[in-house]
Amino acid sequence: MSESTVIATRPTPGHPRPYDFPAFERATLANGLQVITAQMPGRPLVTASLILRNGAADDAPDVAGATSLASRAISEGTERYDAVALVEATERLGAGLHADAGWDASTVSIEVPVARLEPALDLLAEVAAHPTFPVREVERLREERLNDLLQARAEPRRRVDEAFIGTIYKPSSPYHQPSGGLAGTVGTLDADRLARAWRRGFDPRRMTLILAGDLDGAGGGGPVAMAERLLGGWVLAPGATAIGGSVSSESAINSLVIKLLDRPGSVQTEIRVGHVGVPRRIEQFAALSVMSAILGGLFNSRLNMKLREEKGYTYGASAGFDPRRGAGPFSARVAVNTEVTVPAVVELLAELDRIRQEPVTAAELAAARDFLVGVFPLRFETPGPVVGALGGIVVHDLPDNELATYRPRIEAVSAADVQAVAEARIHPDRAAVVMVGDAARIVGELEAAAIGSVEVIREDEAAEPGA
Amino acid sequence: MVNPSVPFTDERLPNGLRLIIAEDHLAPVVAVNIWYAVGSKNEVPGKTGFAHLFEHVMFQGSRNVKKAEHIALVQAAGGTINGTTWLDRTNYFETLPSNQLELALWLEADRMGTLLDALSQENLDNQREVVKNEKRSSYDNRPYGSWSEKLQAHLYPEGHPYHHPTIGSMADLDAASLEDVSAFFRTYYAPNNAVLAVVGDVDPAVVRTWADRYFGGIPANPAIPPVGDMTLPPTLGAEIRETVTDQVPLPRIYFGFRAPVVGDRRLDALEVAMQILAGGKGSRLDRRLVRDDQIAQDVVAFVLGFIGGGSIAAGWATLKPGVALERVEAAYLEELDRLTREVVTDDELARAKALIETEELGALSRVEERADRLAMNATLFDDPALIDTMLGRYLSVTAEQIRAVAAEVFRKDNRLVLTYLPASGSTEEAAE
Repeated sequence: MSESTVIATRPTPGHPRPYDFPAFERATLANGLQVITAQMPGRPLVTASLILRNGAADDAPDVAGATSLASRAISEGTERYDAVALVEATERLGAGLHADAGWDASTVSIEVPVARLEPALDLLAEVAAHPTFPVREVERLREERLNDLLQARAEPRRRVDEAFIGTIYKPSSPYHQPSGGLAGTVGTLDADRLARAWRRGFDPRRMTLILAGDLDGAGGGGPVAMAERLLGGWVLAPGATAIGGSVSSESAINSLVIKLLDRPGSVQTEIRVGHVGVPRRIEQFAALSVMSAILGGLFNSRLNMKLREEKGYTYGASAGFDPRRGAGPFSARVAVNTEVTVPAVVELLAELDRIRQEPVTAAELAAARDFLVGVFPLRFETPGPVVGALGGIVVHDLPDNELATYRPRIEAVSAADVQAVAEARIHPDRAAVVMVGDAARIVGELEAAAIGSVEVIREDEAAEPGA
Repeated sequence: MVNPSVPFTDERLPNGLRLIIAEDHLAPVVAVNIWYAVGSKNEVPGKTGFAHLFEHVMFQGSRNVKKAEHIALVQAAGGTINGTTWLDRTNYFETLPSNQLELALWLEADRMGTLLDALSQENLDNQREVVKNEKRSSYDNRPYGSWSEKLQAHLYPEGHPYHHPTIGSMADLDAASLEDVSAFFRTYYAPNNAVLAVVGDVDPAVVRTWADRYFGGIPANPAIPPVGDMTLPPTLGAEIRETVTDQVPLPRIYFGFRAPVVGDRRLDALEVAMQILAGGKGSRLDRRLVRDDQIAQDVVAFVLGFIGGGSIAAGWATLKPGVALERVEAAYLEELDRLTREVVTDDELARAKALIETEELGALSRVEERADRLAMNATLFDDPALIDTMLGRYLSVTAEQIRAVAAEVFRKDNRLVLTYLPASGSTEEAAE
């Protein structure tokens, strides 16, 4: 076989075609409900999302998980349809109808060919405004959630995530447990509690409908007229409250904590290292994004290069923040083969320290900024992610030009900004190291490494923290 | 709704590289997707997992690209990137801002032509450990994690190229040598064994110039060995049953069937059947087992399409605590059996098609998906134009075709039943 000849010189990029986030318009319905429309030519599949500013963080501690379960229950029966009739009506339109509760908001979304937007919006409106929470369906969903929690205990990833948040947040914080709640409260959720959780957010003046796609083909006088017809008559539900205030996110730890949950026979150890992080609305959001990319976001991030490409300890290591209305968690995440658990923990902690101690290199800074800026148009190729990004603006009360200014703000981040935000927001000296693995094969070496005192939790004592 | 059509050009470089270009200026992005006609089916006994390990080595550098630099350059260009290995293929893809296309072509050509210049024992050993950890993460350390390996092993007989899993075995991964990597590269990573699809905001004339410049100097391999015999009887011949004890809280029953190959019209009908059986809350299995009888926590049914000898139709039901296995198995199989006896209703068929139509429309709106499908159809069927026929094929499926294919596939003598039971003491104490 003859030899290959290839061109040695790496090509330089061409001139970039300008890209702008799709322009969007706001309208207000007679009842105060906001409508945001983003016209995206050539995208006949439209996404529409109704946002209620009522999330899992707004659940009282004794009904944790209610909003999450309520968002699943609203499509299980409404005044006009039972669950099966509703799903059949949706499917006849070729539409996908999804309801979901996050920490800060609940959303009801549809994806549908634009020609069938109006009947699909009608179903969305029915689900959002007229759920009946049938007892039989609520009980089934509650039982499914309890079984799902049971399954989570066998899945090392879910088990470590649950133990991690249970370790870093005080029990008074909603973030102490998963947004879907744990068995202790989920078991008490009934139709009445779900109805109350849902109605709590039903205030048209605090709701927003966001649509993106090739809306010119929508007919019916356009999406705003359609929304006026279908959503404009909504009034404040009894029990709706002006929620959305501060969220308790107090840390439960003030020094390094090491916790090992025993899972005999595990061939890998799932490791989480981190602590309480940041809320979405912080000044240094751009610097934080760049810093996260360098530490654990890019493929060539420090954690992945060290633990995967240098050491071969893992299929992948990452780190990042989960910014919410309150301070969501910061975590570094990795699964390693059992034998290298201790060196992996040592390397993780060392990298969390190094990003604070030394400025990042010019090459690291450029790679992270160029990635975040360059990937921006790729993120918004289709309507779904555009609606998602606009939803973020609504939920976090960000300025309308947040997306337009995103790239210049990222480009302006300096190495000093990165180091400053790392010093302020990453704290290896008061982090939790939480692991799920085969304790018998780890604990001796872990204690000998003298990283800190180790708490080992055996299978039979692993009662769930929220119970 | 109109059938979406994807205009493209289809040509070959003198060295055999197939180049497919589809122009679309809607967004300033471009997708590059290279399919190599090699997958785990090309592996020989003792060397399982090799095609996938090799995929990892492809990111370890080449003559002009350092270790891990390929991904670094694509990400710094604002791109996303990955590679996949499966039974019938290995592919590498990146999506970038359209002004960065030339970089992607240069990177792909450098490793297609000169991977071995950068190959080292250290890099191979490193990626071997990474892949072993991928196997642990994705299979060995997960509840029910062995099901897909068992499905393949039972549905394809010993000696068939689909018998073993793509991830391979730990022993075979340990045994992989530098010589194996070199031989695999020289054999399969030749331009005449590859399809390069470029989709998005591009000028086709410029793409052709660049393809010639970067790939033109890579020689063809005139002696690519054919894959082993793929033919199979249409059914298993007898029911196969296995029970596995695992660290799982809830029992789960997996079902597997041998099915027609991709490209066979009967498989299109079977795909629609799977939508009717388990495609969401309106589906038959969901309604029966989850909603009405409340005996299952979840139900799933799907097709894994392959081109050699047979595909897989499979599914599972996870039991609710305290429910008898026999009851769930019987209910699941009753629904499959009903499909073989009675034609589906017009409304069921219309709903399934409406959902498939929306799904196809969504998939084809992304340049990455279009590039993948063009390269797939060229690689597996020598016909990239099949991209425009898929939706029409689904929409033309009739109720009788569904009944007929169900009757051929969902037979007791074509059935694998794989039951996962909790190891002692790990179930049944929660929920109620």
